Amino acid sequence: MSRLVILTLGLAVCFFYLPIVVLGIFSFNAASTMAFPLSGFTFTWYADLFGNEAFLGGFVTSFLIAQPVGLLGALIGLMAALAVTSPRMKFRAAFAILVLVPFLVPKTVLSIAQAMLMSWVGLGRGATALILAQTLVVIPFTTTILAAVMVRLDPRLEEAARDLGATPWQSFRRVLLPQLSVALSAAYSIGVILSLADLTISMFLAGRTQPLSLIVASEFRRELKPDLNAMQVAVLVLTALIVALTEINRRRRLRGRLAHIRDYL
Amino acid sequence: MASVFHRAQLAVPVAFILILGCVLPLAVLLVFSVFEVDLDAFTLVPAFSGQSWAQMFVNPVFAFLIGKSVVSGAGTALLAALIGYPIAVSMTRLPVLWKGIGSIVLLTPLYTGEIVRIYAWRVVLGSEGLVNAALKWLSVIDEPLKFLLFSPFTTHLVLLYNNLPFMVLAIWISAELIDKRLIEAARDLGARPIDAFFKVILPLTTPGLAVGVFTVFALAAGDMMTPSLLGGTSGATPMAMIDNLFGTAFDWPLASALSLSLLVVLFAFATGFVTILLRFDGARAVFRRGAR
Repeated sequence: MSRLVILTLGLAVCFFYLPIVVLGIFSFNAASTMAFPLSGFTFTWYADLFGNEAFLGGFVTSFLIAQPVGLLGALIGLMAALAVTSPRMKFRAAFAILVLVPFLVPKTVLSIAQAMLMSWVGLGRGATALILAQTLVVIPFTTTILAAVMVRLDPRLEEAARDLGATPWQSFRRVLLPQLSVALSAAYSIGVILSLADLTISMFLAGRTQPLSLIVASEFRRELKPDLNAMQVAVLVLTALIVALTEINRRRRLRGRLAHIRDYL
Repeated sequence: MASVFHRAQLAVPVAFILILGCVLPLAVLLVFSVFEVDLDAFTLVPAFSGQSWAQMFVNPVFAFLIGKSVVSGAGTALLAALIGYPIAVSMTRLPVLWKGIGSIVLLTPLYTGEIVRIYAWRVVLGSEGLVNAALKWLSVIDEPLKFLLFSPFTTHLVLLYNNLPFMVLAIWISAELIDKRLIEAARDLGARPIDAFFKVILPLTTPGLAVGVFTVFALAAGDMMTPSLLGGTSGATPMAMIDNLFGTAFDWPLASALSLSLLVVLFAFATGFVTILLRFDGARAVFRRGAR
């Protein structure tokens, strides 16, 4: 590796992580205003966090909404990926564009259109609407992740299963699904993470439900306080934890599979 | 019966969900855009009125806002391409073991919520924030730089930050697909690294560049929160206007007409950019190889 490569990547990492690091530093800074120079180390803001019922309530709400979004997103993504990678798929390009619509249309426009239609036909906004709308936005991501893994699988395994008399369901359940377990857990994690991170959809479809991002956004418009920093760092740590667990899971499965192959040899 | 079912048929329920949840609401905008509003009763009255569309063409503010978001999106996509190339090409030089870690490092900032990112940049760029404090400490400036926060500069810096990973990812994937022997051959025949980049890497990564430009343009032009929370007085966007018409003004027909106009213009520009990029010889070569 040349020095130029290291320098470029170093600068890129600095740019990507600068705001996150600054947030972390201020969440431990003693002063109540966010300004340099720093004025001492404290855990006060984290302690405040646990006493703040609005934040904790919002956190629980966000977490409960994120779970069905992750599950539904992974399930629908699995169906979409199975269809789009199927050799017999007829309108592949048109279907792929349809799957990408929720990603490419500005979220504000899509959410407002959904809110207008829902109130026109008399459906109430709230947690259910929010879960469904977030699931739609997650589908392009989960489909891409699962389809990227599926195109790399050996189609002969499935063909062999079918030749040996397996029904489509059996060959899916016994041959395809085990090979997709890691990608499925990654798809679920992406769904949970995007749901936790969402603000725009919540603004228009949450109704009286108050997820964390909405509470933080309303605080944000008033003033910046360090307990908000601590809150953001807590959310970030949780997100990083989900990413890390997914990755560790992936590596363990990979190693398990290698060991399996070694046993055969 | 077993042989009748095939997995391609799973597309039907998925398409149904997406059409019901996304395409239908957008299509209904067309219907709403010709309705009228009864402001006394706060109800939408079915009608066939061209009023909203007339306003869309007569009042210059709408064209201005849409134009502004196109310029914003195109500027961000251009910046992301210029900065994304060196990063993506550097990532192809990483040892195999580091590539997995590289992709995690690249994607993790994407997982932070929009509000977290906006919030963090306020702390970095504020008048007593990191950048101003550092410049003061180095005695480069006496007074904090005001343009760092709540200006078009802030908006575009953060739009770049939000979208750069998508560009890097798109270029990186297509750069990894280049046959390394082509680059080696160019070098062996005496090309300097910079020539090898412009003659081999750049042409063969145009499909990745096209995907990156399309994605970054669509996301940056459609971003409402970043301009409105960090752009200060310059932060007006068509999306914020739609939000205002929908929520505060209760002018759903006008909100619908503006939404549709925005979608049509953004889509036209995005496909325009991609068409131009894919006309280059490099892109044709990649597709020919792929077809073979």
